[in-house]
Amino acid sequence: MTTAVYVNTTTYAATHVATNMLGSIRSIIKGSGLSPDLIRDQWATLENGIETWLASRHLKAVTLEVFDPGKRPSDFAGRFDFTIDYGYYPGGDGDLWLDPDTVAYTVRKNGSYPGRCRYRIVIDCAPGYPPIPGWADTTYRSTEGFTRHTVGTALGGGSLGAGLSYYTRSGK
Amino acid sequence: MNAVARTVAAVPVRTSVKTWEAITGLLAPAGSPGRLRLDAVTNIAAILITAEYTSQAPIVVMPTSGPRVRIRTVHGPDAADALPGEIPLPASPCAEPGWSMSLPCGIDDIDEIRGALRGHPGIEARDLTDGAFVDEPAAEAVAWSVNYDELETP
Repeated sequence: MTTAVYVNTTTYAATHVATNMLGSIRSIIKGSGLSPDLIRDQWATLENGIETWLASRHLKAVTLEVFDPGKRPSDFAGRFDFTIDYGYYPGGDGDLWLDPDTVAYTVRKNGSYPGRCRYRIVIDCAPGYPPIPGWADTTYRSTEGFTRHTVGTALGGGSLGAGLSYYTRSGK
Repeated sequence: MNAVARTVAAVPVRTSVKTWEAITGLLAPAGSPGRLRLDAVTNIAAILITAEYTSQAPIVVMPTSGPRVRIRTVHGPDAADALPGEIPLPASPCAEPGWSMSLPCGIDDIDEIRGALRGHPGIEARDLTDGAFVDEPAAEAVAWSVNYDELETP
């Protein structure tokens, strides 16, 4: 794994972050033992939403939420958050970069999920975001009983940075 | 055997899906049956583009007649430089039925991608370390080699 550093073009930052963040989420899915079928089948819708809401600066976070169907009282099994910082590079002139090591480290630390687990992609947007076909309102599952771990910034570009964190069962 | 090569600007000039749309725009007219086949594999192709497999080895299109077409994507700081080279092909290789396509794929993803392509006959994934070579039909099983100079021609 290497860290790729690209020449900055602010105009391209949203595209760079959107596509590579989605690619990173797919890496987490595969590395965690989850089926890649769902994210593959929804790729165009996901990429379009993330890029659009990044460009409009409404996107606050992209979450991979993992759940264990049938588990009671809560089916929540874990999650990974990419939190957007629009002022990560205050001058807006940050290079376009991706650090796959941060994602690989997170997968290694979090471990795998049982094969029966499922997932969904949840977007947190600021009010006023433009509607996009294929997306519906929802709420996050409760993270009660889980601890959030912040790993660091996984990718960035222009003024954007995307920090990665994950949740594990408390005491794990 | 002749081949025609093109390079297409990818991330960060375009998202992975928009990169595939630019590629399909070179290969088949909008609304044609061939274009519909290409549109149907958009999500699969976009994943290969995101992983940059299509920059390491070409997408190869084998039309029913005419030269093969090889398309690579360009990513990162050089992507914008590829835009002027996106010259329309002399003929649309996927306009007539019977064409086939080989998509490059890394070994970590190839089982998944081959499985996803099962419902799309004529479009297959190959190990990108196999290079630009793809299987020849038996009737055309003659020796040939890649004209690398021609591949570099815009």
